Amino acid sequence: MSAPRPEAGQPEAATLDPLDELAFRRDEAQRQGGETAIARQHAAGRLTVRERIARLIDPDSFREVGSLAGTGRYDQQNRLLSVTPAPYVAGLARIDGRPVALGGEDFTVRGGTTFGSSRRKGGQGGFVEDLAFHYRIPLVNLIDGAGGSVTSIQKRGHSVFPGVHGFERSVSLLGTVPVASAVLGTAAGGPAGRAILSHFSVMVRGSSQIFAAGPPVVKRSLGMTIDKESLGGARVAVDEAGTIHNAVDTEDEALQQIRRFLSYLPSNCWEAPPVLPADDPVDRCEERLAQIVPQKRTQAYSMHRLLQMVIDRDSGFEIQPSHGKALITMLARLGGRSVGIIANNPMVYGGAMDAAAARKQIHFMEMCDTFHIPLVFFVDVPGFMVGEKAEKAGTLREGMRAVFAAGRLTVPTLTLVIRKCYGMAGMATCNKNDIDLKLAWPSGEWGSLPIQGGVAAAFARELRAAPDPAAREKEIEAELAAYASPFRSAEAFAVEEVIDPRETRPVLCEFIALADKRQQSSLGPRLRSGVSP
Amino acid sequence: MANQEIKSEVTGTVWKIECKAGDRVAEGDVLMILESMKMEIPVEATLAGEIVEITVQVDQPVAEGDVVCVVRP
Repeated sequence: MSAPRPEAGQPEAATLDPLDELAFRRDEAQRQGGETAIARQHAAGRLTVRERIARLIDPDSFREVGSLAGTGRYDQQNRLLSVTPAPYVAGLARIDGRPVALGGEDFTVRGGTTFGSSRRKGGQGGFVEDLAFHYRIPLVNLIDGAGGSVTSIQKRGHSVFPGVHGFERSVSLLGTVPVASAVLGTAAGGPAGRAILSHFSVMVRGSSQIFAAGPPVVKRSLGMTIDKESLGGARVAVDEAGTIHNAVDTEDEALQQIRRFLSYLPSNCWEAPPVLPADDPVDRCEERLAQIVPQKRTQAYSMHRLLQMVIDRDSGFEIQPSHGKALITMLARLGGRSVGIIANNPMVYGGAMDAAAARKQIHFMEMCDTFHIPLVFFVDVPGFMVGEKAEKAGTLREGMRAVFAAGRLTVPTLTLVIRKCYGMAGMATCNKNDIDLKLAWPSGEWGSLPIQGGVAAAFARELRAAPDPAAREKEIEAELAAYASPFRSAEAFAVEEVIDPRETRPVLCEFIALADKRQQSSLGPRLRSGVSP
Repeated sequence: MANQEIKSEVTGTVWKIECKAGDRVAEGDVLMILESMKMEIPVEATLAGEIVEITVQVDQPVAEGDVVCVVRP
């Protein structure tokens, strides 16, 4: 709370010229929570909300909304002494020339909690969400607050029923405009909830934490003493739980990631994603791709390196790089067009799909589908992750949810089998009831399960009867292996094309460009019905 | 810069160690190969430097996140 400054209480304040009063009130808003509070925010290694906004947006593009909202102090003659601004700064601005709605808690004012008015600037049901919804533009949440304060119950004289300031608007935004959130302080309660109701979220390692409830509540509820970093730092919230998508080292990087994320997306679901001029030739063939998959089928290789050789140079932006690492989800560009890349990562459990990878894939698929960003699958999946730990984590259910979500996609998809495509996890990598293309490298192999290991079970009786069961098993394996060649599938038109790995980029760029009319003719909100398993 | 720990991305077994203490390595060099899910998973140097210590042995089980060697930049 800022102390009244001596010059504020001018005796003639009540009869101030209206323009002078406006200037005075605007000046009060810029002072935020006062010098001491701002110094404390900086000492914690954090920027103020106004500094964050300035660094996020195009220079001088902030059109503030609600700058005068706050709590005025008046003397006995009703002369204005000072105004403590509302603890939320909001408005419209431009990012890369395109309009956005944005806002954030001002932690220097009452720790970013609510203020006296019954109408909200930010938070769930706040005006900033209305701006994004009605202007049909992306919403950026700069989150730095712990939600409701019990002091408001005293002021109001009653408690607020959960949902009276509900998440309805936040929910409808998820189907209509891009929502990106940066967690830039300690977030709990409502602000934490809104960070999750986003298409993309990012937090700062070491200085941000997020949880349903912080250490004091944990202590009271469970008798457990734990510090906030161990409870909701990036290692827990990003790497382990996947609660927040990405973690960075500084606030500037977090803001940079939000700009980057939005650059791939349209302003709303009624538009197609922006197409940039391609600065990387679409016909670039990468010689090294011919050798990248090792001959020996049990040898892993770097899918990250493979992807970098295919996409437009430096166009990759990985979402959730530290969580569910058996799968890579990445926004990128092919010939200047936004694509969503989903690639299995053979370096982590051979690319087997676990519960975390499945959840990551589902979110990414639904986001790309909502904003008409074509999906390209780079497939090397041996199946669902197996074992006791995987079963306890609900891998089968999460994996089948991925299959379900893939089955509902309407955005154009391309499936390129790099090596393995087995079982139900393989089914989550294509939308085979549609005209979406299934392509393969000559190293591709697929089926309901690999021949190696499958023979012993399928030919058990024959093997038992054989004089040398082991030799007979090898014989059958060799016989079946000939049929497993991807060329046999192409003969049967079961995959549309087998391509030379070196021509991957030209082929993908061309198919993505050719899907343009289809993409343009299916704009608008996605209707999703049915019950996800 | 302080010594950097190289960690295993997966749970598995150490199959082959392809470097020794004192070796100079470049970023992306294969330091050792783990066996996990019937696959050979290379552990690559995440930075260039000198191998200070190898903290695992052949056939030793490792868990995701375990330190397998230490590199001085």
